[in-house]
Amino acid sequence: MSLLSIENLSVVIGGRVAALSDVSFTVDAGEVVGLVGESGGGKSMVGRAIVGMLPTGSVATGRVGFDGVDVLTMSAERLAHHRGHGAAMCFQNPRGALSPTRTAGRQLLDRLRTHQGMDGERARESAVELFEAVGIRSARRRLGAYPHELSGGMAQRVMISLATGCAPRLLIADEPTTGLDVTLTAEILRQFRHAADTDGRGVLLVSHDINAIAAVCDRIVVLYAGTVVETGPASRVLTAPAHPYTRALLRSVPDLDGRPVVVTPGAMPLLREAPAVCPFAPRCAHAEDDCRTSRPRLAEQGAQWTAACFHPLHDAVEAGQASDVTVGAPARRAAPAARAEPVLVVDDAHVVYKSRFGRGGHHALRGVSLTVAKGERIGVVGESGCGKSTLARLIVGLAKPTSGSVTAARSSLVFQDPIGSLSPRRTVEDAIGEPLRALGVPAAERAGRAAAVLDRMKLDRSILARRPHELSGGQAQRVGIARALVAEPDLIVFDEPTSALDVTVQAQILAVIDEVAADRSHGSVFISHDLATVRGFADRVVVLYLGRIVEEGPVEEVFARPRHPYTRALLSRGVALVRDLEEADATAGCALAARCPFVTDRCRGEDQQLQQYGESRAACWRVPEIGELV
Amino acid sequence: MRVLRFVVRRLLQLIPVLLGVVVLTFLLVRVLPGDPIRTILGPNATAADEAAAGARFGLDRPLWQQFTDYLSGLVTGDFGTSIQSGQSVGGEMALRIGPTMELVVLAVAIAMVIATVVGLWSARHANRAGDHGIRVLALVGNSMPEFWLGLVLILVGYAGLGWFPAPSGRVDPDTDLTPITGADALDALLTGNMPALTSSLWHLALPVLTLVIVIVAPLLRSVRASALEVLRSEPYAAAEAHGLPGRLLRRGYLVRAALVRLPSLAALVFGFSIGSTVLVEYVYSWQGFGQWALRGLLYRDYPVVQASVLVIAFCYVVVFLIADVVHAMLDPRVRI
Amino acid sequence: MSLSRTGRRREKRDGRFGTVLVVTGAGILAVVALAVLLGPLFTAWGPNEIDPSAPTLAEPGGAHLFGTDVNGMDVWSRLLYAGRVDLGIAIAAVAVAVVLGSVLGVVAGYFGGWLDDVLMRLTDIFQAFPTFILALAVAALLGSGPVNLTVAIALVNAPAYARLVRAEVRAIRDLTYVDAARTSGASTIGLLWRHVLPNSLTPVRVIAPLNCGWAMLTLAGLSFLGLGIPVPDAEWGAMISLGTGDVVAGRWWTSVPPGIALLVCVLGFSLLGEGLQERADRVRR
Repeated sequence: MSLLSIENLSVVIGGRVAALSDVSFTVDAGEVVGLVGESGGGKSMVGRAIVGMLPTGSVATGRVGFDGVDVLTMSAERLAHHRGHGAAMCFQNPRGALSPTRTAGRQLLDRLRTHQGMDGERARESAVELFEAVGIRSARRRLGAYPHELSGGMAQRVMISLATGCAPRLLIADEPTTGLDVTLTAEILRQFRHAADTDGRGVLLVSHDINAIAAVCDRIVVLYAGTVVETGPASRVLTAPAHPYTRALLRSVPDLDGRPVVVTPGAMPLLREAPAVCPFAPRCAHAEDDCRTSRPRLAEQGAQWTAACFHPLHDAVEAGQASDVTVGAPARRAAPAARAEPVLVVDDAHVVYKSRFGRGGHHALRGVSLTVAKGERIGVVGESGCGKSTLARLIVGLAKPTSGSVTAARSSLVFQDPIGSLSPRRTVEDAIGEPLRALGVPAAERAGRAAAVLDRMKLDRSILARRPHELSGGQAQRVGIARALVAEPDLIVFDEPTSALDVTVQAQILAVIDEVAADRSHGSVFISHDLATVRGFADRVVVLYLGRIVEEGPVEEVFARPRHPYTRALLSRGVALVRDLEEADATAGCALAARCPFVTDRCRGEDQQLQQYGESRAACWRVPEIGELV
Repeated sequence: MRVLRFVVRRLLQLIPVLLGVVVLTFLLVRVLPGDPIRTILGPNATAADEAAAGARFGLDRPLWQQFTDYLSGLVTGDFGTSIQSGQSVGGEMALRIGPTMELVVLAVAIAMVIATVVGLWSARHANRAGDHGIRVLALVGNSMPEFWLGLVLILVGYAGLGWFPAPSGRVDPDTDLTPITGADALDALLTGNMPALTSSLWHLALPVLTLVIVIVAPLLRSVRASALEVLRSEPYAAAEAHGLPGRLLRRGYLVRAALVRLPSLAALVFGFSIGSTVLVEYVYSWQGFGQWALRGLLYRDYPVVQASVLVIAFCYVVVFLIADVVHAMLDPRVRI
Repeated sequence: MSLSRTGRRREKRDGRFGTVLVVTGAGILAVVALAVLLGPLFTAWGPNEIDPSAPTLAEPGGAHLFGTDVNGMDVWSRLLYAGRVDLGIAIAAVAVAVVLGSVLGVVAGYFGGWLDDVLMRLTDIFQAFPTFILALAVAALLGSGPVNLTVAIALVNAPAYARLVRAEVRAIRDLTYVDAARTSGASTIGLLWRHVLPNSLTPVRVIAPLNCGWAMLTLAGLSFLGLGIPVPDAEWGAMISLGTGDVVAGRWWTSVPPGIALLVCVLGFSLLGEGLQERADRVRR
């Protein structure tokens, strides 16, 4: 018998939103199941249903069987025992899910006492062991830490230890890797795999990022608009999924190997009741009449593999259709004009943020030099703390360099938070017209140009009168791009423009950006932590680490033959970094010294400058040797 | 200890603020229309009488000299002499601070306890009839003029029901209470005078009730809002989802987080109460600090006004300091 | 990181209480305003008019709905006339305080530097006093009369608004849309006027009604003590003070009705403010 067996679970909230419709799947002990879908798809409701914590005003039908007993009809005491000890949740945004006025250790001790009956010294020892098991160094000291003193990665580990401290049979992880760096993500996912393999727990990994969790999952369940559209072994679902939506998900995410992104138009609907037709039909390239008149149920596609589709696909994901709208196919890009005039020259810029109390400061950018020509597309890549936002602000003039110089032509910026970048009380028309207003363009002309650029973004003109909170993320970002374009700047900077959006919407926005950047009348700088996206976009790429450029060169060269150990680690080319980013901080010598597996004393003492290796440059003197060691 | 350093630092910051207050009051009170000498002596005073009185109180000296005299007096603890009564201002004040503090401290303490208990209950039963009722009731209490409420309570409690003593005096004189601090209930306790204790408590009842009714609302709102925020917060849901039992949840996860903002608000309310006592003391003839200061203002009794303002400012700042320290103790995110 | 993924998630669950409060509060105020503006047209006596035919301290009944006070004036008429004074001064004072405080707050919050420091020191000194005491002092300084009292109350309240707005502006200063406006080339004045100011007034909208209630109570308190509107004139606090001695003897009709009027008015403002706060909290969630 399965540990968790969900049968025909439907949840309706407030009588108005059908969060889940007839969801069924199982999780066994020792198995890692990935539950995948975009926001609004119902993933978090599943987790809440399993621990019996559905929101007030929601009605649930169906069965959530845990060890044979239905959670939805459990008595209060049975439920209290089930929560934590039966199924324990690891929450999204761990620092936000830990009580701010209670130390991490006390919170863990609470769970040890409640579910394992431990007390006193024995409990403390167990707590220390648990912390060490999830990879927290100086565990004993960390017991006394308050949540706000923990870094993101540390908080996530604490969250896992809290859930594990309940000695659960089933671990539910809600978006465990959001906001974490690439290297940390792998580490955290390893913890869950360990929980399944070594402790024999069942693990349900809930995520919007199918590729991130793919490596550790045994099986995958795909949700769309609250319905299960496909379940099957991970290997199967990731290479040749049967359902068109799963394919859309996989193909919307840029691939490190440069496979073009396929754009799926439209957005996921928020259903008011269980769908009578296939919910994906309006967006599906393969939809036929029967899809629009009745709803497909889950049908066997093979061993342990089901999909809810009347016309399931059988070829590999890579096989494209003629009707696909793609982004970033290299063949579509015209080559940049040679020797074009520069629109941006950054020369040895340093940016230091002074600390409020006079001592110390944060050296955000160290000696960064960059040139962008008209029509060129530059990608800037780096993880959190590398200085990419500072660079963006430097380029558009929001930040002044502490030393060095920045010479830029007229530039505009597209922000990471689409809705936050729009003033809450102004209409879309006002927002788009702002750059024109600053140039003194009269109101009538402003309105005309705003409408024109909105058309270019393929947005309906009715949006002009709306306010930011009435827009979806995708719409808001198009408005942001429209605003960036309207004054015809010489340089556009895109600062993580898609990281706050859903997967399929990301693909749509990338298509828009691609089209905008294809216009060679201006230069473009695309900043992101996601290498794959940058690869699809840029002519040249720059890799940032802790405020320094560690590698730069033509995009194909850097991706095919990365030189610097950090770039190699990012691309998973045989290099794994030691230790987490939060604990390392370099001031002298090579930036990566504290984490590099090839570090020597010379690395620690000597500042590394960019040196030419082939067609790209890297800031590492050991590049030739590393090539042999790996 | 960090806390000690913080306190010392804040007390040092106090000094320029208090200095500013002294200077400001000194100037402002002399700018007020009206002459203290004439007010005290009455309309039939002769010029000679006025001159003599003026000399006695040093009012004929140049302004800057008056100021330095006052300042040097302050340093030694001498607040000057009251123009109205001719007595030492410091002495008069000492007799009157006790009764006022008694009122305010009792009222704020009782109000905080009520606000905490009821606020937590209200939050846990949020948006149901009881919660709505409590909130509206508290609002009604907060919307009343306290001097009017005092009158109504006297009307009902004394003139009507006759349960409470007449609004004059703070303790039955027959109990022979020896004043130590001026706070009668406290003095009764200290001297073991049981009849005096009972009498003073009965006299305290109505004025304290008046103040409590008026100040409970903002405190209740704060506790309730903080508690609601905690109850609906992710950390609380996470702790519930891990199956932690109700009592542990409430004691360990709710109470401390919900009370975090109470100290600063309590300090504000304390300050507000000091203002309110002026009115309440008037209605109940409490012979406290408020009435005394008010009379000083009305008669332009400069030393009295200066001293009252200084003491009020000092109290206010100290109370805020205590509130900040308590807040830092409750909330580990606050850095001292 | 709390970036909204769909940007469109707004629950209206149990938001009705807030609306009920707002409507009730506004309703009460509307009725009072109407009564106070139009009522005096229908009363037989002026605010300081003595009715020679009626005895002083006559009990309620007959021609005098609430009886007469110690000077022989009709309580009911005075009640209505006094309403104009109380409502008028309270609202005017808060309006002035809001404008003054907001401007100072925006300037201090956005530009920082020495301007900010000076403002903070000034508000510190102001806030070293309980506001009623401060109002007392300023009223004593400026003297009685409606204009002086309005100024006094406005001055005493302005620092709080300055602090409130300054705090909002400091938070907004670093928000993305301000950066966005700056990169779009907006001038500083334009930025402040179009983007910073409108968004920083949110707490003011909620506090202002509550503040009007407080202003009215302060005015009444000052008049009660003799420092506000002078006693024979019609003002609710002054009316209460007139009847203080009589209450102890059980003659309630001179002091109790004005207090009830105050209570109703201030309650109207409080319900309005609390309701607005409730609705603002819903939206934020």
